[in-house]
Amino acid sequence: MSAVGATLNVNGRPISLAEVPDDERLLDTLRWRLHLRGTKEGCRSGGCGACTVLIDGRPTLSCLTLTRELEGRGVTTIEGAPDLPAGRVVISAFETEGAVQCGYCTPGFVMALTGLLGRTPPDRRSPERLLRELQGNLCRCTGYAAIARAVERAHREAP
Amino acid sequence: MGSFELVTPASEEEAIAWLARAPGGEAAVLAGGTDLLNDIEEHRITPRHLLSLRRLPWNRWNWIGPALEVGSTTPLVDLEYDPKVRAQFPGLVTAIEAVGSVALRSRATLGGNLGRSGSASDLIPLLLALDASAEIVGPKGVRTTPVDTLVVASRRPALGAGELIRSVRLPEPRPSAYLWQRIRPAQDVSHVGVAVAWSPADGRWRIAVGGVPPRAIRIHPEAAELPPRPSSPEREAAARRAAELLPLSTDLRATGEYRRHVVHALVLRAVGSVTAMREGSA
Amino acid sequence: MSGARRADAPLKLRGAAAYGTDLAAEGMLWGALVPSPIAHGRIRSIDLAPARALPGVVAIGADDLAGLRPKGAPPSETPIFPSEEVVYRAQPVAAVAAPTRALAREAARRVRIDLEPLEVWGSIDDLLPEWPEDGAPRTGPLNAHVHARHGDLEGAFGSADLVFAETYRTSGVHQVPLEPHACLAWVDGDRWTVETSTQTPFGCREDVASTLGIPESQLVVNGSWVGGAFGAKGSALLEPYALLLAKASGRPVKLQLSYPEEFQLGRSTLPSVIRIESAVRGRTVVGRRVRLVLDTGASLPGRDFTLGYSAGFLLGPYSIPAVEVEGYALRTHKPPFGPHRAPFVPQCTFAIESHTDHLARRLGLDPVEFRRASVWTEGSTTGLGQTVGPFGLDAALARASAIARAWREHLPPGHGIGIAGGFWSTGTGAGGEARLRLTPTELWIEQGEREIGSGSVIRGIAVGVEATLGLPPGTVRVAFLDTAHAPFDSGVFGSRTVGALGQAAEKAAEALRAELGRRCGRPEAESAKLTLRPGPDGLEVDLGDRRRPVRELLTAAELADGGLKVEGRHYGRSGTIDERRVLEGSFHPFNDFVGAAHVAEVAVDPEIGSVEVVRYAAIHDAGRVVDPVTARAGIEGGVAMGIGTALLEETQWGPDGRLENPSLLDYRLPTLAEVPRLEVEFIEGFPGAGPRGAKGLGEPPIVPVPAAIANAVFDAVGVPVFELPMTSERVARALKRL
Repeated sequence: MSAVGATLNVNGRPISLAEVPDDERLLDTLRWRLHLRGTKEGCRSGGCGACTVLIDGRPTLSCLTLTRELEGRGVTTIEGAPDLPAGRVVISAFETEGAVQCGYCTPGFVMALTGLLGRTPPDRRSPERLLRELQGNLCRCTGYAAIARAVERAHREAP
Repeated sequence: MGSFELVTPASEEEAIAWLARAPGGEAAVLAGGTDLLNDIEEHRITPRHLLSLRRLPWNRWNWIGPALEVGSTTPLVDLEYDPKVRAQFPGLVTAIEAVGSVALRSRATLGGNLGRSGSASDLIPLLLALDASAEIVGPKGVRTTPVDTLVVASRRPALGAGELIRSVRLPEPRPSAYLWQRIRPAQDVSHVGVAVAWSPADGRWRIAVGGVPPRAIRIHPEAAELPPRPSSPEREAAARRAAELLPLSTDLRATGEYRRHVVHALVLRAVGSVTAMREGSA
Repeated sequence: MSGARRADAPLKLRGAAAYGTDLAAEGMLWGALVPSPIAHGRIRSIDLAPARALPGVVAIGADDLAGLRPKGAPPSETPIFPSEEVVYRAQPVAAVAAPTRALAREAARRVRIDLEPLEVWGSIDDLLPEWPEDGAPRTGPLNAHVHARHGDLEGAFGSADLVFAETYRTSGVHQVPLEPHACLAWVDGDRWTVETSTQTPFGCREDVASTLGIPESQLVVNGSWVGGAFGAKGSALLEPYALLLAKASGRPVKLQLSYPEEFQLGRSTLPSVIRIESAVRGRTVVGRRVRLVLDTGASLPGRDFTLGYSAGFLLGPYSIPAVEVEGYALRTHKPPFGPHRAPFVPQCTFAIESHTDHLARRLGLDPVEFRRASVWTEGSTTGLGQTVGPFGLDAALARASAIARAWREHLPPGHGIGIAGGFWSTGTGAGGEARLRLTPTELWIEQGEREIGSGSVIRGIAVGVEATLGLPPGTVRVAFLDTAHAPFDSGVFGSRTVGALGQAAEKAAEALRAELGRRCGRPEAESAKLTLRPGPDGLEVDLGDRRRPVRELLTAAELADGGLKVEGRHYGRSGTIDERRVLEGSFHPFNDFVGAAHVAEVAVDPEIGSVEVVRYAAIHDAGRVVDPVTARAGIEGGVAMGIGTALLEETQWGPDGRLENPSLLDYRLPTLAEVPRLEVEFIEGFPGAGPRGAKGLGEPPIVPVPAAIANAVFDAVGVPVFELPMTSERVARALKRL
């Protein structure tokens, strides 16, 4: 059943899946096979959002995604965020607003917000909706205040 | 390799044939995996094979007249982002938005939620209030069954050997509401969920309550019509009936006594909210 | 707002900062701890053979320790693996390492553990279901007992118009840093090295050295980036196990806790019961008796710092002529108690400040004016006989009162407003050293701490150096060195970093300035006016009348050795308490007195009991704000954490000593949805011991939050809630809806 030679695309680079065990999660593939450790391991059970990446542009929890289920799909991680127009806006907004403290939740927040901005046309987007859709990303340092300011800034500045 | 083997059939027939042959207890069906993979990670279950539905064309939905037919592997996030679904099934969208986060809902599916049938599912009460039915495919062909009979208990849907949930059908758009109570408003398991809908087809109300074992329950109000007056005896009777039928259950999140109290309050509120929708659209 | 952008933000936003969980080495093994399946039992046998039978697996238990620790090492005071008895669930009884993480977990599961179950002292509620009429709690075995007393208590209570007694309960809360504990260890001959996510590299070195019996000179601790700590990463936890596994396997070993392990094994705050009795004459509290029963789990007896420290907070921040405090550190079969941001003081403040509000209501007085009539100010004497230093709580309360009045003019029905004061004592008593290294183009602070998130290291300690030398914000760089190369510092805890390490860095800056003055031929007195500034070809010394490039002032040896190095040290003084007031156990003096007053507006659903915080203001006695951006960020984070303690967070322990909710689904951190709009204000003019009079701000913001919210709930619905967290069910019960 295994699709030998099938690939997925990570940050614009094709990756062969041939040697990935069936039970491997995307989180572990990224961190330990591809050495992309910017994607953070938090709770590994979908409760913190630290491992959020984009799959075909859509924010997704890499801890609850089997790598083999992604054949032919495109994955973007924090390392690839600067290549996306929305990603650049989000990164700059987080830095300007001081939304980074310990930084462990940061890659997940950046990817989630990048995906949400890329997905929703500006006329259907609002800071309130973005903030509601970011409730799955937990932060223990900032109290979300600076993150909320960064979301508002990114909303204003996003393409 | 790994702790399980992933089986990825390319067709419905192949999937059914494989599942029908799979030794009992050794295979699990993988839709989005957001619940299943946690159980595997924590060694609550140790299946040797996972049957992935990824390659089956079940990840889309169709409008059939007023009815909405949702393929069982449709990611929840697709439904919540669809303007027509939002407009026609407001209660369903509220319930979907109560499930985890956007990033979780990009994997989580309607079929997976039904197949896992968690007693705290935020979707099942609403599906019950909408009289949803599931289309089941298996070795003996296709059958349709009400969600009410499909859902038995957590992780135990009423499915025969080799059977899979192909789609879920919502017969008609209904003014509907879903209200939940949790310790934390966002990203929590509801200790009580109340779904209320009013059917334009038969002019009757449906009430369903989730958050109680072994599964969400449907309550038929005795009165056909619940009057628009907020403090009517009919409404009060419906709320009391819902609270009384609720199996008393205490867990880490809430006592049974508190759940009963909350159900009573939320039924009244949800009926009020659906009444307002009916008046708004009238 | 002024202040520099944080130097670590670009790195973290690229995903390029390596945290403990990210550490890796060629050929490393993954470790796993083997947890005790029960909370209390006698060990019959622990059989590692099934684990060792797996390919590439190394397993170690109590019997292997003698061969792994250096010869002649004295026995460890903290048990590494128990050999006779397990005393809490998930206590490590063995450890394994394997080439993959999955195999390590599998090996850990295969270890056969045979225990004879013994009686479990699980719940504080079982041991103390209600407070007895005679006033003295019946408790089980104790880890510690403290008792202090001052004044004519019998007289105060005997002549009181009113004796007002209340009992409060608080639940355990967990720090939940988003990054779980993780480290990487290796052993090379007699040199032991561990890279780890820690808030105290030197404290960790001391812990590991004493646990393993290794001389500190042979042990190197190198901190990684830290994904949050909040007290959880203040002492060694995984490091000794990782090092022992590395020694046993001859390979680098990575050890990382899963979230369920983090919840069960991590050292967190445990439940308590607090009883307060106040004797009132007229409008004044003339006597107070406070008793605290604190679950301290399997902490080492007699080593409890929390109890005596917390007890001191229960006697403040008001002047009361006759006081008594008694604390009982209960021994139970839970993991040892651990510090959580302002350890146990938010809970003490919840009790004291709720009680204070209730008293004011009972007496028909304005709650703020009632507080201000007896709140400590500079020169007051604490219940333990310490003289209060500069303290801005009274000013903060006055400001809070004005804010609350303004909010009240537009208060919607169902809403309520609450105010609470609180205080913290910066831990500047713990000392530190920092080294400046000046190159022709850059000025570095070389030091041994790691940035845990608040900005106190990456930004806080640089502010005083920049100010002293007249450099623009953001120009001084912070170097992170391991314990073999960094000057000693006590750790990032107790809100001490800016106050102690920052002061050490500032003293080094003063010494550097004097040295540069000397090299420019200026007399000592004139060098104070000298500044450094970026020039076209690197840094320049600005002497007022002329400038000289730094390059010209460094010797050839210094240029070859990386620059001119100057050290600064700061070892602060603690205050003193009046030991005659102490009857038993040890109490601790405060250092700086740091006040805060918070205002909360809540909306309460009076039927269901759910509480939403809709608006919040935090007024902080900051001494002097040295970096506004960092200061504000710390307040925002602390308030959010306090909202968790107030409304959501609770470790739920079963009677068998099992943690029933070890996941983020069942242990609820605040999300974006639960944290309201927040106004932050600072009170200056009551200087602390930090640079330029700064006071630590890492911990104070969590202190008043549960109390402020509780007082707001009371204001909204007219009934008190005596237990944390104030879940909707508890509020509904207080409202007698059930």
